[in-house]
Amino acid sequence: MNEKNNLTNQMPIHKRGLKFYASIYKKIIIQDIKSKMSYRADFIISTVGMVMTNLAGFLTFMILFHNFPTINGWDYHHMLFLYGFSLVALTPVQCFFDNNWNLRFQVQSGDFIKYCFRPINVFFYFISEVFDVKGLGQLAFGLGTLGYAWHKIGLPVTALNIGKTIVFLITASLFMIAIMNFAAATCFWIIGSGYVMVIMFRFKDFARYPASIFSGIFKIIFTFIIPIAFVAYYPSLVLLTPDKVPVLSWLSPLFGVLFFYLSYRFWMLGVRKYDFTGS
Amino acid sequence: MNLKRFAALTKAGIQESLQYRLGTAVTLFSNLIYLALVYFLWKAIYASSGKDVVRGMTFEDTMIYLILATALFNFLEQFIVWDMSRSIQSGKIILDLLKPMKYRIYTFWSYSGAHVVQFFLTFTPTFIIVCLLTGGAIHIGVNLLFFVLSTVLALVVNFNIEMLVATLCLYTESTWGINIVKETIVLLLSGVSIPLAFFPETIRGIVSILPFRAVYDIPLTILLQKNGADQLSGLLPMLGMQLCWVVILTIAGNLFFNHAVRKITVNGG
Repeated sequence: MNEKNNLTNQMPIHKRGLKFYASIYKKIIIQDIKSKMSYRADFIISTVGMVMTNLAGFLTFMILFHNFPTINGWDYHHMLFLYGFSLVALTPVQCFFDNNWNLRFQVQSGDFIKYCFRPINVFFYFISEVFDVKGLGQLAFGLGTLGYAWHKIGLPVTALNIGKTIVFLITASLFMIAIMNFAAATCFWIIGSGYVMVIMFRFKDFARYPASIFSGIFKIIFTFIIPIAFVAYYPSLVLLTPDKVPVLSWLSPLFGVLFFYLSYRFWMLGVRKYDFTGS
Repeated sequence: MNLKRFAALTKAGIQESLQYRLGTAVTLFSNLIYLALVYFLWKAIYASSGKDVVRGMTFEDTMIYLILATALFNFLEQFIVWDMSRSIQSGKIILDLLKPMKYRIYTFWSYSGAHVVQFFLTFTPTFIIVCLLTGGAIHIGVNLLFFVLSTVLALVVNFNIEMLVATLCLYTESTWGINIVKETIVLLLSGVSIPLAFFPETIRGIVSILPFRAVYDIPLTILLQKNGADQLSGLLPMLGMQLCWVVILTIAGNLFFNHAVRKITVNGG
């Protein structure tokens, strides 16, 4: 009886919490987009830059296939599927979590303290401050590639398949977000750790190759420690090989949530450490 | 007199780089993991091709090329574009412009210390490890001397590209966009991502006359003695090409910077 009462009492508060954060997020994002729009040239050049990086990535891919028709048993269209899948999965980290790149400058200069004085979640406030519009170009590029490969492989377009795609794309993106959270948060402990982020961001380029190429200890490292195998390979197997999906693929949504949670805790641990130094 | 000034800047740069020891260790470690990725990818690629030699490159050649390219990349990396845009934002650039030394020369020498540190901390260990692991695949002889010469030229070409792009940012006020375009082009067309030997003929023809090849591909080709670099007749055109780009880019960079510096708008310097 008591327990039931407690539950009903808590429900509205929890709901208001989400609504509250959503409304704050909307306000912050609108401010950010407004301020970005005032630098129109910068916006256009950045978008062009984003398109160019995607084109260069694609060109690298084409040059590889020009010389080598298959990689580890994967043919051109399956690889293209994986490539498109990884691009779409990398969009949320680009669009919503881009402010992680500014973390080390803010921490070093001491400006970060302003985030600690607000009565809202520090991680939420910091991350929501930037919405990166140019990531949408990558999304379009990724969706195009994914659609083309989907068509060429001849995957059936059913509600189930589309549902699976959405769930496992979200899963995949959680892993990349978590990797970048971990990499960014290292700056709370190590000065000059900017390179960790740069190299982790370069690791993402390897997410587009089948993780079956790894062996030995590195298979474990790239699956469970720096989980780039989950950024495209394991989640996409659910669609590509529906007859023999590995257990790890089915478990990936669970791992994704867990990994994201751990990265969040790590990030917040850094904030607490920052508080204590009082700088 | 001038040499003394340069030496002072180099020394300051060395001391500054050595400050971040933990950062350097982390960098080295992440590089090792990155190289593991490169290794597995190319191993799988060569295994599925069923051939030992593709486009004149064996698996071993490709690995040596890519590992040393990554090491060279870390050694030559500069953040002039970012540093300059930040010093424009903070107004610090005014102080640097007022120094009794040309801004471009000052920037070049203040980076030299970091290059020295990176050379001994990242490039040399990587090179020694590769030499030991491959057991004589890299010829040790007079090619090392030419490699060092070529690397110095590469450093100057790289500095000039960086400086030109940084100057461009004075006009556009867009750092991220311009920088990512530069990085993408340099990484792809200089051979760091994929050895230039794998490029299709037509693209290779265009790439071979662009300055980006002078940064990574030429020093490595000379070191590995590919494409006739073991003979003077093959070697001289490569070094000549680098020298040409050094001259062209230095002149262009100077003219461009001198023009741009008059247009600088510093907010709240």
